Amino acid sequence: MNECTVLCPEVLDQDGGAAMYKSLLKQWSRRSTAIVLDFASTDSIDSLGGAWIMKAAGYARQKGVDFSWKGQHDALSDFLEMLAPSLQASPPARPKMPGPLEKLGEVIISVTKECGEFLSLTVDTIYWTLIAPFEGRGFRFNAFIDEVHEMGVRAVRIVCLMNFLLGLIIAMLSAKQVEAFGIQIYVANLIFIGFARELAAVMTAVVVSARSGAAIAAELATMTVQEEIDALRGMGISPAQYLVTPKLLAMLVALPCLATLGLISGVLGGAVWGIFVLGFRPFMWYNQTLEAAAMDDIMQGMLKTFFFAIAIVMIGCHNGFRVKGGSRGVGLMTTRAVVMDIFSLICIDIVFASIFYYLLG
Amino acid sequence: MSETMISVENLVSHYGPVKVLDGVTFDVKKGEIFMVIGGSGCGKSTLLKQMCGLLKPTSGHIIYRGKDLAAMDEDELSAMQRTIGIAFQSSGLFNSMTVGENVAMPMREFGGVDPKLIDELVRYKLSLVGLAHAQHLMPSELSGGMRKRAGLARAIALDPDLVYFDEPSAGLDPIMAAGLDNMILKLKSLLNTTFVIVTHELDSIRLAADRILMLDMGEVIFCGTLEEAAASPVDRLRQFFDRRADDFIVQRNITS
Repeated sequence: MNECTVLCPEVLDQDGGAAMYKSLLKQWSRRSTAIVLDFASTDSIDSLGGAWIMKAAGYARQKGVDFSWKGQHDALSDFLEMLAPSLQASPPARPKMPGPLEKLGEVIISVTKECGEFLSLTVDTIYWTLIAPFEGRGFRFNAFIDEVHEMGVRAVRIVCLMNFLLGLIIAMLSAKQVEAFGIQIYVANLIFIGFARELAAVMTAVVVSARSGAAIAAELATMTVQEEIDALRGMGISPAQYLVTPKLLAMLVALPCLATLGLISGVLGGAVWGIFVLGFRPFMWYNQTLEAAAMDDIMQGMLKTFFFAIAIVMIGCHNGFRVKGGSRGVGLMTTRAVVMDIFSLICIDIVFASIFYYLLG
Repeated sequence: MSETMISVENLVSHYGPVKVLDGVTFDVKKGEIFMVIGGSGCGKSTLLKQMCGLLKPTSGHIIYRGKDLAAMDEDELSAMQRTIGIAFQSSGLFNSMTVGENVAMPMREFGGVDPKLIDELVRYKLSLVGLAHAQHLMPSELSGGMRKRAGLARAIALDPDLVYFDEPSAGLDPIMAAGLDNMILKLKSLLNTTFVIVTHELDSIRLAADRILMLDMGEVIFCGTLEEAAASPVDRLRQFFDRRADDFIVQRNITS
């Protein structure tokens, strides 16, 4: 029997423990069959000292020898008793990093699952939006009005301002380009057609998705984290009915209205530049704008906004419901919702642009 | 036992127009387990938040080691807060870190701990609350009771002199709750730690409390040892210890 006995210092704190561990390493020899800590002269100990004892126990485990102690007084044995459970077990293994194939599989599974969740949410929402109200089942009219106010009315100022400034900028840039040809009056046409077909709808949708899309995702994500969604389900109320439907209908009303206001503000922005800087008479600019105004262009722009509205709400809700893991998850999902929103806006836009270009010319 | 750790003098606290604490006065001695009891909504948690400087009192003083919390500047206050351990009612774990990292965080942030030791220390503190296996899990993967215990482990990470626990055993199973009481008693006898604990658990009050303070509608209605409590004529206190229901529970809540 060849014990490696280490006498512990009077005060077993961070420094005392370090000294103890050092002398353990010094006294350890190949022939040692056990490590024994001698607490005969130890008066006090704190958690850091305890951590050093754990280090010594870990050393014994690594060498495959027994670990024990002796000579402790009563108060110390209380402490050692508390420490004992953490001495026996080896530290829990860190979770293994998955290999490339496992990662690939994980991605495929999660994408499939997400698509399934999105589809089922969509189906639920379609039922509660289009079918249920006609079966006489609950439609929350007050919530719908609140949401229209929140998503629509409160966004009017920022949407008008953004479109106005954009109109100003485009007039500014394009007037410079056509100056040499003397056709600056056609900037009025450009502004109107541009805003009617594209800019008003897209700009407004971007502003609204940053505003309301993020708000929807954050609200639903927080509700999910705080088990409010579970509470709803537990009461037998479908979250799609209670939360998604009013938002979707509100957005379907609010976004086209906002886009119309955006169109007006954008055209006004262009007119301000044309009248005050380029020096056209207001009447002339007005007539030119009216000449350019075609119902087809306006319809093309407005049609898109309905699809934008659906995308913004459904993506916001979908990401909100998917949240996992507390406050950090809420942040991640909100970011994800806005990024997906804006990406899907562009995708929808390009589909419509192609359809109109090839089919309608 | 005689040295005063923290004393509260005539503390008044408002949330907006609502008066939550009204002239609360008491001392906590070094190395004692001081339990704060009282019905829901009587201001216990507010008192705890006042005592760690998270809320400013409307009037009155909180003297910690001879200095008034209300008169401290930011730096002094955060230096003071580093010497105390706080476990909140809803754990307050950081969601973005694993449980082990949560416990290690005060050790890393405040320095004074040899980085080589942090891993051992974290395992020790987690095994104290029975969570050694959960070191590498995220807080969102834990149950409510486990999260609570992880919060306790973080509060005692640096062997603080003064520990505040807000309902530590609420949501724990009786075995864990009893283990927690033992741990508190051992830490007290070993490190002379002072505990201020808000609790409803009659068993842990009977087992561990040196002194208790009872609040009712923001006022102190009793402060003393368990023996004094047993002899006390205060009706509300009797009711609390006998678990006797309030005849007017609904009316009380509406009027308060």
